[in-house]
Amino acid sequence: MTVKVEVKAGGMPHNNIMALGLIGSLVCVYLTYLNQLGNTQVFSFFGALAVVFAIVWGSNAIKVLCSYGIGTGVPSAGMMSLGSGVIAMLLATRYGIAAPIVAVIVAGIIGAILGYIANNVLSMHIPVMIRSITELAIVGALTLMGFAALATGSFTLTPLMSGAAGFSSSFIGASIIAVAFMLGGIAIQHPFNATLGPNWEQDRMLMLAAECVFLSAVMMAIISFAFVGMMAAIISLIVTVVGWVYTYMQFIALSKRDAAAWLDAKPIVEPEVA
Amino acid sequence: MEHVVFGIGVTALAGTLAAVAGAAENTESDIGSQGDPNSQVQLAPQMGYIHRIFNKAIAGEPPAYGLWCALGAGLAMGFMLLQYNPVLAIILGSALTVLVQGVYATTAYLGRIASLSKFGQPVYVDILKSMTTVTMAHAFIAIFTTVAICYLMNAALGHPFPLPLLGLVWGIALGAAGSATGNPFYGKERQYQLQKFGAGVPIAASGNIVRYAEAGQRNSLDNGWFSAKLGGPASGICFGLIVFLELWRTVIFEGIGAGWGAIIVGILLILVFTIIDRYIEVWARKTYGPYAKPEEAKS
Repeated sequence: MTVKVEVKAGGMPHNNIMALGLIGSLVCVYLTYLNQLGNTQVFSFFGALAVVFAIVWGSNAIKVLCSYGIGTGVPSAGMMSLGSGVIAMLLATRYGIAAPIVAVIVAGIIGAILGYIANNVLSMHIPVMIRSITELAIVGALTLMGFAALATGSFTLTPLMSGAAGFSSSFIGASIIAVAFMLGGIAIQHPFNATLGPNWEQDRMLMLAAECVFLSAVMMAIISFAFVGMMAAIISLIVTVVGWVYTYMQFIALSKRDAAAWLDAKPIVEPEVA
Repeated sequence: MEHVVFGIGVTALAGTLAAVAGAAENTESDIGSQGDPNSQVQLAPQMGYIHRIFNKAIAGEPPAYGLWCALGAGLAMGFMLLQYNPVLAIILGSALTVLVQGVYATTAYLGRIASLSKFGQPVYVDILKSMTTVTMAHAFIAIFTTVAICYLMNAALGHPFPLPLLGLVWGIALGAAGSATGNPFYGKERQYQLQKFGAGVPIAASGNIVRYAEAGQRNSLDNGWFSAKLGGPASGICFGLIVFLELWRTVIFEGIGAGWGAIIVGILLILVFTIIDRYIEVWARKTYGPYAKPEEAKS
C-alpha cells in the first residue's frame, strides 16, 4: 500500500476540471466538423482548443496519480496516455461524425483494462490508478483527434489517409501522427513534471499545461500548411501564436509570484544557518 | 556493386553525423542537468545548498529527444510536401524545433525553481538567459544531424519508414545513448568532485553538489565545458557506432538469405559487444576496485 504524499491540495477540485476538460474538448473537436458542413477548412483551429481542454485535464489527472509517490513515473504516465489513446483514436476515426464519442468510449475501456493490469497484475495498488489511467487514455485519444483536426481539418479516417500525393503524403501515411503523439506525450507530462515540489500551485501548473499545448499547436499549425488551404492554416497559426504568447506571459508572471526571489546576475544566496 | 559502395558511403556519412549528434546531445543535456544528474540538482536546495546550476528536466532524455527529432522531421516533412528543397526543409524544421526546446527549457527551469521557494532557491534570470541559448545551439546541432541521418536512410537507402517515424526512433536512440554514456561524467564525477573517486554518493552527501568553481561560482556552462571534453565525445562514439554498425550490417548483409544475413550479423555484433563490455568491466574492477575498506587500502 502506498502512502499518499499530498503536499498541497488546494485549487479547483479534480472532478470539476475533468468535467470541463471532457466537455470542452468534445465540443471543440465537434466544432471542427463545421469544416465538413460548410465545405471549408477555416474551423481547423478548434482542434488546438480541443487539445488545450484535454491536456489541462490530463495534467491534473497526472498530478492526482503521481501524488502517490511516483516521481519518475510522470513522463511514463504521459507516454502511456498517448499510447493507449492512439489505439482508440485510430479505431474511432472509422465512425465518421460519431468518431470523438467512440474514441472516448474505446479509450475508456482500454484505459480501464490497463489500469486494472497495472494495479492488480503488476500489484502497484494505487487507489486512483484505474480511474486515472482511464482518464489519461481518454485525454490521449482526444489530444490526437484534436491535433489531427488541426493539421488536416478533419477527424475521420479517409481524409487522414489521403494526401496530395496519395497515402504517403497523408497525416497517417507521412507519420505526422507520430509527431502529434510526441507533442501530446511531452505536453501532458511536462506541466506537473516541471512544477512538482513543495510549493506546487495548481493555477501555475494548469497555465503551463495550456502553454505547452499552444506551443505544440503552433508547430502543428505550421505542418498544417501541407494539408489545408493557406487561409485555414494562417488562421490556425494566428490563434495558436496568440494563445501561446498569452499563456507564456501568464506562466512567467505566476512563476514570479511563487519564486523565492527573482535575481539577475547575483551571487548564490546562502541560507542563514540557524 | 555500385549500389553497395554507395550504401557504404551513405553509412559512413550517417555514422559521422551521428557522432556529432551524440556529442552535441550530451553537452546540451548536461548543461540543462537533464537525465539522472537532475535528481541531485533538484535535491540540493532542499538540503540547504542554494546553487546557480541550470535545471531543465523535460522528461528523460530519450522521450525529450524523441519529440525534438520527430518534430524536426515532421516539420521537414511538411516543408518537403510543400515542395521545399530537402536541405532547406531539414534546416527550417530543426530551427523551429529548437524554439520549442528553448521554451520548454525555460518553463522547466522556472517551474521547478518556483516550486522550491520554501527552501529559498531564487530564480537566476541570467542563468535562464545564458544557459537556455547555449542548450538551444547544441540542440540544433543534435536535431539537425539526426534528422539528416533519417533523411539519408529514407531517401538514399530506401528505408520504408516515413521521416517523422524515423525521427522518433532515432531521437529516442540518441537520447538513450547520451543518457547512458555521457551522464556519468557529469552526474557521478563533476557534481561530486568533493567526494573520493569511486566512493559513490552516501546519503549524507546527497544534494551536496559542487557549487563553486575554480574562480567564482559554478554555473552550467562550466559543466558544459567539462562534459564537452569527455562525456560528449564518449556519447558521440556511442551513437556514431550504433548508427554506423546498424546501417553497415543492413547494407552489406541484407542480400544474404533474404534479409536473414543482416539479422544474424546483428546478433553476432551484440555478442561481440557483450564480450568486450564484460572484459572492460572485469578489467576496471581489478584495476580500480572494488572500493576497498580503509585498512585494506593502507597495505
